[in-house]
Amino acid sequence: MLSTIALDTQVIRPGLCTGCGACQGLCPYWGSVNGRTVCYFDCERRDGRCQQFCPRMPTDLEALRDRFFPAETVLPELGPFRGLYLTRAADSDIRGRSQHGGTMTALVELALQEGLIDAAVLTRSKGGLKPEGVLAAAAEEVRACSGSSFQAPPTLAVLNRALQEDRYHKIGVVGTPCKTLAVYKMKAASLPENRRYADNIGLVFGLFCGWGLDWDGLEDLTAKRLDGAFPAHMDIPPSKYHSLELRKEGGETVSVNLDEVTPLVRSGCRYCTDMTAEFADLSVGGARTAGGWEVDKGWNQVIARSEKGVELLELARKKGVLEYKDIPAAALDKLKGASLGKKRTGGENLRRLSEDA
Amino acid sequence: MEWTMTANAPGQVCLMQGNEAIVRGAVEAGIHFAASYPGSPSSQVLGMLGKIARERNFYAEWSANEVCALQACIGASFAGGRALCIVKQNGLLCTADALHCAAQHGVKGGLVIVTSDDPGAHSSTNEFDSRWQAVSAGIPLLEPTTMQETKDMLPYAFQLSEELGQLVLVRVTTRVCHGRGNVVLGALPERPRPLQPVREWDRMVCVCYMHAPALEKLEAARREFETSDYNHYSGPEQAKWLIVASGAGRLYAQEAVRRLAISEKVGLLSLGTLWPLPEDMILQYLEPAETVLVLEEVDPFLMHNLEAIAGKHRLSISFLERSEDFSPQVGELNPDIVMDCVSDMAGIPLPEKTVPEIELDLPEREMTFCAGCPHRATFFLLKKALRKEKHPGIVVGDIGCYFMAGQSAGQYGFQVCNCMGSGINVAEGLGQLTNYGLNQKVVTVCGDSTFFHTILPGLVNAVYHQANMLLIVLDNSATAMTGFQPHPGTGLTAMGDSVKPMDIPKILDAVGCSVEIADPFDVEASEKVLERLLQKPGMNVLIMRQPCATLKAKEQKRPVRVWVDQSKCIGDGCGCDKFCSRVWGCPGNTWDFQANKAFVDPVTCVGCGVCAKLCPGGAIQVEGGAEE
Repeated sequence: MLSTIALDTQVIRPGLCTGCGACQGLCPYWGSVNGRTVCYFDCERRDGRCQQFCPRMPTDLEALRDRFFPAETVLPELGPFRGLYLTRAADSDIRGRSQHGGTMTALVELALQEGLIDAAVLTRSKGGLKPEGVLAAAAEEVRACSGSSFQAPPTLAVLNRALQEDRYHKIGVVGTPCKTLAVYKMKAASLPENRRYADNIGLVFGLFCGWGLDWDGLEDLTAKRLDGAFPAHMDIPPSKYHSLELRKEGGETVSVNLDEVTPLVRSGCRYCTDMTAEFADLSVGGARTAGGWEVDKGWNQVIARSEKGVELLELARKKGVLEYKDIPAAALDKLKGASLGKKRTGGENLRRLSEDA
Repeated sequence: MEWTMTANAPGQVCLMQGNEAIVRGAVEAGIHFAASYPGSPSSQVLGMLGKIARERNFYAEWSANEVCALQACIGASFAGGRALCIVKQNGLLCTADALHCAAQHGVKGGLVIVTSDDPGAHSSTNEFDSRWQAVSAGIPLLEPTTMQETKDMLPYAFQLSEELGQLVLVRVTTRVCHGRGNVVLGALPERPRPLQPVREWDRMVCVCYMHAPALEKLEAARREFETSDYNHYSGPEQAKWLIVASGAGRLYAQEAVRRLAISEKVGLLSLGTLWPLPEDMILQYLEPAETVLVLEEVDPFLMHNLEAIAGKHRLSISFLERSEDFSPQVGELNPDIVMDCVSDMAGIPLPEKTVPEIELDLPEREMTFCAGCPHRATFFLLKKALRKEKHPGIVVGDIGCYFMAGQSAGQYGFQVCNCMGSGINVAEGLGQLTNYGLNQKVVTVCGDSTFFHTILPGLVNAVYHQANMLLIVLDNSATAMTGFQPHPGTGLTAMGDSVKPMDIPKILDAVGCSVEIADPFDVEASEKVLERLLQKPGMNVLIMRQPCATLKAKEQKRPVRVWVDQSKCIGDGCGCDKFCSRVWGCPGNTWDFQANKAFVDPVTCVGCGVCAKLCPGGAIQVEGGAEE
C-alpha cells in the first residue's frame, strides 16, 4: 500500500495517531496543524520513512527491544530497567521553571555541556499550551523548554529535519513514550535514505506520560476557565485530587474537575500501553510514592534503562547536578502497578477497536 | 483571411473554414451589428467580424455575456438593423428568456442567431442540442452542411427573418465550424442599408397576445420551407430504404452511399430547414419508405419529429433506433459510424479497408494547465490550505480554463460545478447552511472573464445575504480558454479600441466585499492569505492575480532559466517521490529517465519559477532576471 494511504487508513482514520511528528519533516507530503497530522498530497512510495517510523504502524516490539537492550534487564511491567531513583535538579532556577523536580532539564543541560550529545530535540510550550519542537544546541536553550506540555506536538519533525541537515551527529531527543518508540524505530529502520542519518541520534530521554489532550479542546477549556487568559502553568496532581490545576500569571490557581478533561484526551492516547517510555536510555516522571503529594511534590522518579543512562545519572550525581533521595521500599511496586494499569486500559481499548473494525 | 472576408469579387472561389463562411455570409448580408460571447466551436467568428467591422461599416462587440449580446442585437433590430448574435450551445441556453420573449415580440431588422453545438464536447463541459430551443421558442431553424451552404444561409436567414418579422436560428456543429471547403463568393453590398428611425408608435414588446401571430409566422415559415432549395433528395423514386440527414451527417451519408454503391436502392433526403419541418415535402419520401435511418448530431431531434409525422399519417415505418453500437447517442458522427449504419440498413457488407490501420502507442494524457499557469499554483495552495482544515472544505468550481482543476492539474480541486457563473450561487447556498450545522469551509472560484459574464449578480446576492464563503477570483487578465478575447477587465474591444478597463477590486469594494489581492506565484505569502481568509467569517474575496502564462509568453521573452541541479535532486527517493513532475505537475517539469532525476524542459518552461520554490531538495535553480 502507498505509504500515505497506509498511514491515513491504518493510523489517522482509526484515531490511533499520536501526533508525534515522526512522519513529518521528511518530505512535502506530511504536516501538522494544531496537533492534527495532515497529508497534503499523496505520495506513491510504498516504503516511505513515514510509515516505517510511525509508532502506531505494526511493530514487533520485542524484536526492537532485543536489538537495543539486553533481555536480562527487561521487567515485564516497566521494560528495560537498570534502576529507579528519586531526584531533583540541584539548581533552584531549574526547579522553579520545571513541572516537578527539573531532573530532565538538568540532565539534558549536563549531557550538552559534557558533549555526550551535541544538540537536543525538545518541546517548548507556553504554560502547557501551544507546544512546538525545538532544536537546542546550547545548554542555555534547554531551560526555556522546561515544564510539561499537555498537548502533544509533532516534535519529531524537528528531529527529522535536524538528522537530514547532518550538522549534528549526536542529537539527543526528549519525548513521550510514543515519540521515543518512533526514535528507536528510526534507529532500526533499514531504508537507505535513513541509514545516512540514523547514526546521528544520540541519547534518548523518555518522559512518563498518561495522555495528551486534543489541542482545540484544551485551548477552548483553558480559555473558558481562565476568561480568555493564557495559563502560566498547568499540572495534574495525584489521582485522588481528580483535577487539572490551571495557574494564571499572577499565581491564582483554577482547579478543573478531571471529568471535564478526560473527554479531551487525544484519541490516539487511549490506545497507548506505555506509561514510562520503555524505549529510552532513561525515563523521567513525577514522583508518585506512597508518601503522598506533599512528600513527592518537586521530585522526579527516574528509570535508568541503558548503560549510557546509568552513566549519565552517575555523572549527574558526581557533578552535583542532581540531588538524590532514598527510594521508599514500595515505590517500585507502585510504579509497576501504575504502568500495568495503563497497559491494561490501552490493551483493552485496542482490543475493542479491533473488534469494531 | 481578411481578404476573403471583405473582397467584393463575386464568383471568386475561396477555400474557407466554416466560421469564416459565417463571417462572409454576414458581410454579404450587410449586417449592421454583431455581438457575441466567446465559446467553442464558433469563437473565431466575432473576432474576425471585429477586425473588419470598421471597413464594412458595422459594429461588433464581445459582449460581457450572451444575454447582453442577444439583447443588444434586439436593440439593433428595432432600428431596422440587421443583427447577428453568435453563441455556443451553453450560451444559447443562457439567452433562453430573451430568446423566448423576442420570439413573441418579433423583430424589425433581420435578427439571426448562429448557435454552435459541440457534439462530443471537445471544447465544452457538456454536449447538448440547441435545436430544441427553436421548437421551444417557436422560431425557424436552419442547419447548413457545406461551407458554401453556411455562407449562403446567412443572407437567406436575414431575408427570412425580415419577411417573417421573426428571429432565425442557424445551428452549426464543430465539423461545420472547423471544416474547410470551397466557397463561391457573392456580391457585397456597398454599405449596410440605412437604419430606420424608431417611431413613436413602433413596438417590439413581449406580451401574451403576440403568441398567436408568432405561431402564424412559424406556419408561414413552414410553407416557405416546403419548396426550399436547402432541402433536397437524391436516389430512386419510391425508395424503401430512406436516409434523412442534416448537418455533418449529410456528407457522411453521401460518402457511404457512394462507397457502398447503393444510390439506386437507398434514398437520401437532406434537410437544411429543420424547424418547422416541411411536412408535405417530407411525407412524399416517407410514404414509400419501409426503413428510415436518421443521421444527425446530438439528440434524435429530427428522428422524433419524423416519427411524429409518420404516426400522424399512420405510416408503418421502422425507424432505426440509435444505440451504443448503432449510431451512438452521445458524441459526434463520423464517416465510420455512418458507414456502419448505412451498410447495416442496406444489408451490404463493408468494403475491405485498403489502408492499413496504424497503431501508435501514444501515452495517455489528461488535459492540464499550460506550463507556468497561475491557476496551478492557486489550486495547489487551495488544496493544501483545505487539507489543514479540521473538517474538509467544499470547493465549488466554475467554467473557464480552471475547470481543469477538477482533474490532477488542480489537485482534483473542486467537488461541484454547475454552469458558467454558477459557482458563486452554489457556494452561497452552501455558505448559508454553515449557520445551520454545515461545519465546513466553502470556497468558490471564477476567472476574470466569468466574473463579468455572470458572477456579478451572484456576488450581490451573496454579499447582501452575508454568506459565509470565500470567492477566489483567478485574475489572469484574459479569456484564456477560448483564445484571449477581450473582456471588460482588459481595456480592449473587439473593434480594437482602447477603453477604460473595469477594475475588479473597485467593483468588489463597491458591492461591499472585503477584498484581498495575492500573487499565486508568491506561494508562501499567498498560502498565508488564503489560510487567514478561510478562517474569516462572512463573505470574503481573494483575487489571485498573475497574468496568463500563454499571454505573457506572447508578450515577453522568458525572463529566467529554470533548471535542475541533479546532484541535489532526491528524484523518486523517500522525501520527494518526483514531487515536481508528479504532484506539482507542470508540463515543464519532466523526468530524465536515464539519470532517474527531475528535469526541466527548457522548451516548455516559461520561467515562472514556482517549482523552484516548492522543490523539497532545493534542486531546482532559477537563473537570470530579478525574481518576480
